[in-house]
Amino acid sequence: MPESALPPQQNPPVRRRRAAPPGPVAFVWESVLMGWRWLARMRTALYLLLALAILSIIATAVPQEPNVPSTVTAWREGEAGPGVGVSRVLDAVGAYDVYGSAIFLAVLLALYISLTACLIPRIKAWVRLVRRSQPPIVRHLGAQDERTDFVTDRSPTEVRAAAAELLGRRRWRVRPHDAHPEDPRPDQVAAEKGLWAREGGSLVFHLSFYVLLAAIVLGQLLTFEGQRGVVEGDPGFRDTAVSYWSYSPGRWFGEGDHQGWRFELERFHVDWVRDPLAPGAGQPTVFRSDVRITPADDEPFDAVIYSNRPLNLDGTRITQLDWGYAPRVVVEVDGEVVHDTFLTPVITDGGFFRGAVKAPAADPDVGLDVFLYPFAPDGEDGRPVPTGAPWADAPLLVFQQYRGDLRLGATQQTINELDVEALTSEGFGALRLGQSLEVEGVTVSFPELRRWVGYQVSSRPQLPFLVLGSGLLVVGLLGSLYAYRRRLWVVTMVDAAAPRTLVTVAGRSFQRPEAFEEEFADLVAELMAATGGAPADPHPGPETPAAVTAVETTR
Amino acid sequence: MGSDQLAELSRLLYFPTTLMLYLGAAVVYLYALTTTVGRTEDRERGRLAQRIGGVLAVLGITAHVAHEIVRGLAQDRLPLGNMFEVTSLMALVGVVVGLSYLRFVRRRPELNGFVLLGGALVLGMAMLMYAEPGPLMPILDTWWRPFHVSLLVAAMGIFAAAFVFNALYLLRDTAELAVAADRSRPGGGSTVGAAYVGDVSDGAVTEPASGAPDTATGSTGGDEELDPDDERDRAEVLAYHRALRRGVPAVKLALGTFLGTALVSWVWLTTADTWSAGLGRFLTVNLTMVAAALVARWFVPFLPPTATMDGIAHRTTAFAFVLWTVGTIAGAMWAEVSWGRFWGWDPKETGAFLTWIAYAGYLHARATRGVKGRGAAWIGVAAFIVLMGTYLIANYVIVGLHSYADL
Repeated sequence: MPESALPPQQNPPVRRRRAAPPGPVAFVWESVLMGWRWLARMRTALYLLLALAILSIIATAVPQEPNVPSTVTAWREGEAGPGVGVSRVLDAVGAYDVYGSAIFLAVLLALYISLTACLIPRIKAWVRLVRRSQPPIVRHLGAQDERTDFVTDRSPTEVRAAAAELLGRRRWRVRPHDAHPEDPRPDQVAAEKGLWAREGGSLVFHLSFYVLLAAIVLGQLLTFEGQRGVVEGDPGFRDTAVSYWSYSPGRWFGEGDHQGWRFELERFHVDWVRDPLAPGAGQPTVFRSDVRITPADDEPFDAVIYSNRPLNLDGTRITQLDWGYAPRVVVEVDGEVVHDTFLTPVITDGGFFRGAVKAPAADPDVGLDVFLYPFAPDGEDGRPVPTGAPWADAPLLVFQQYRGDLRLGATQQTINELDVEALTSEGFGALRLGQSLEVEGVTVSFPELRRWVGYQVSSRPQLPFLVLGSGLLVVGLLGSLYAYRRRLWVVTMVDAAAPRTLVTVAGRSFQRPEAFEEEFADLVAELMAATGGAPADPHPGPETPAAVTAVETTR
Repeated sequence: MGSDQLAELSRLLYFPTTLMLYLGAAVVYLYALTTTVGRTEDRERGRLAQRIGGVLAVLGITAHVAHEIVRGLAQDRLPLGNMFEVTSLMALVGVVVGLSYLRFVRRRPELNGFVLLGGALVLGMAMLMYAEPGPLMPILDTWWRPFHVSLLVAAMGIFAAAFVFNALYLLRDTAELAVAADRSRPGGGSTVGAAYVGDVSDGAVTEPASGAPDTATGSTGGDEELDPDDERDRAEVLAYHRALRRGVPAVKLALGTFLGTALVSWVWLTTADTWSAGLGRFLTVNLTMVAAALVARWFVPFLPPTATMDGIAHRTTAFAFVLWTVGTIAGAMWAEVSWGRFWGWDPKETGAFLTWIAYAGYLHARATRGVKGRGAAWIGVAAFIVLMGTYLIANYVIVGLHSYADL
């Protein structure tokens, strides 16, 4: 009876279809499977990468709230950018905070699921490869990329031992094969390399993204970052939750995690290329802080912070962020001092520093809009001429005086800006260092000029994991790109005509055949030297087909 | 010698010396490439031209290195602090790595002309951003800087070389596809078909016996079997060459190149001091690229097989990708040290990320069956546009922590 005539139950299909459970469960399950398979495709991953790229472009073109909140406010209010209408659309789709938006997170999540879907079968296959695979023993060498024959007086066993030793030293995986009498495969040493390393490198490269993701998520929880400005010679501040001007702790960073040291700025050094004709005129040449740190339960010590060398206090870094001149402004109303502190004005595009005096102690409130020109020498007519130069050789403090309601606590305002809504201007004044001036019963004096520096204090316990992830990424990348897969066979046969051994070395390269050519020639030369081999006769035996055609392989 | 004189000397070494030497070497090499299918005496001249090109290229590289050293001495720091210096070094790295790779690894020095032409173009682009030597901002003064910047610059240079080969691959592939399509058309009434005397007599559609430089042997010529002095063979080869060139429509190529370059060069339109200066720069860059594309089109018949150029583009991109990855990580480490955060989506950081994604896309496309070949090459071209675009935009248009363009 022919096989095809057997009843169907005796010839079952290779893969039996699982009976699908009826109803919505099946639908959902099938959909999930379909989605999983779609995500596992390389093409999908490419599309998701493209989506990620497009989102980054949007984030570059549209100001981002976490980076430049003031610009975003200007866009929202229509003072800059494409207008209020467009701005509302941008807000609705989360374009002002792309990296925190739901779309970005969704793409990222899809990318990671896609990565996982793609990696699981590959990891399984790789483990199988490492556990099971061995260099294959050949029956006929057939067409290989490289092939050489030579003869030697040594015995086949000696030659194979030499070959195995040589290849092992060069870190090939070696599999010797001594044929039984009835084995059709000839005596040989089979070897391969790069098969685990290439795929393994690719896997490590892709797995490193999980390490990076974990480190970033960990960072969101455990990190802490605070900014604080300090005036030279001031008492400074203590490392506590309330002493920072801006303070952004991670979710798991508690107040008890602060180290509680005291930080004082003794002196800040800054200088520029002052010669207007020199190359790079006006560029700064040094930013340096001489500081004094008093640990919570230890003796104080001095330290120096440079632009690129932050201070590291047990994992907490203190970095210089910005600086400015700190004029001491004293305001007296009717002989009573209502304001006597150092301002911390910030530099503007015009080369001057802008700050504000807010004196709610007076009645009504006194507010000064302060402009500090560091270098404003007297002109020929005796009037100061402001320049854009940043060095404080002829500082000039210009202020506009307001009285009224400062609206402190009622509106959001920075320390360097006045809310002039409920204030009335009373006039202008200009002061040299050490001078004072009376405007409408308010005496303003400028007795001292120091500098202030803005510091960032940050604690990032995730950094070692980020470094680890980056290291894995690079190592994996190198492996996946530069581990070339090669196979090699050294086949020995006894020449029946003469008491000598015929050796055939053949190899196949899966990547970079042109690099393998040299490596192969090298190996053959070394093996010949080790076994005292001589080139084979020009007439190859029946076991060695002459034509060796180049095989196009993927590079 | 004072630093003024040193600065002057470095400028002279740069322009005209280096630029002219690169251009000269490129022209000579490209001429040599055209003689590979010529008569015997032509080939002799070609070999001589190749030697002259080699000498010019070495002189050009020497002048370029000398320029970098003198500039470094003039300002007493490594010349890696502003856009001009970075772009200039990018050209140097691209030329040195490209030539060494072709000479020692690929052993195809006849392709040097394209690398040198690319180098000259990048060098010329750097001229648009020329800045006098000067000191460095203190924030840049750290050992992280040479490490981070030189890695990225090297990667950029090599990406540029990879772009050249991707573009050449696309040109050659387009030409070959067009010729193949033309030949397989029923009736064979085209002038291309008629050019093959052999085809007509046999009544079969086959490759010309020897003329196609891309026959299965995979070497440049396949022209070993060709008798260079046989007029009939020559006519056949020349007809094939003309057919290949016709396969790439010149107008379409010029327009495409113009528009493709405009994707990047619009930056000059919007950021130059005056409108006319911006337009001048924009047109200079675009028309130079169009001219380069048309020159490359003329050389299409002399290009090596598509597989070779595809392979070169892939190898160089892979290498540059590793450098780019390490350089970006180094940049994040520097940012952590200097600004107290390792990644802040600053325009340049976003640019580096985008470029990385784009080239990762290219490498993945190469590893995917469906997208290989032309698809991958187009992704490579797009990735280079992303690289150059983000490089210019982050420096000129959006002011961020990395904007050192006008220092």
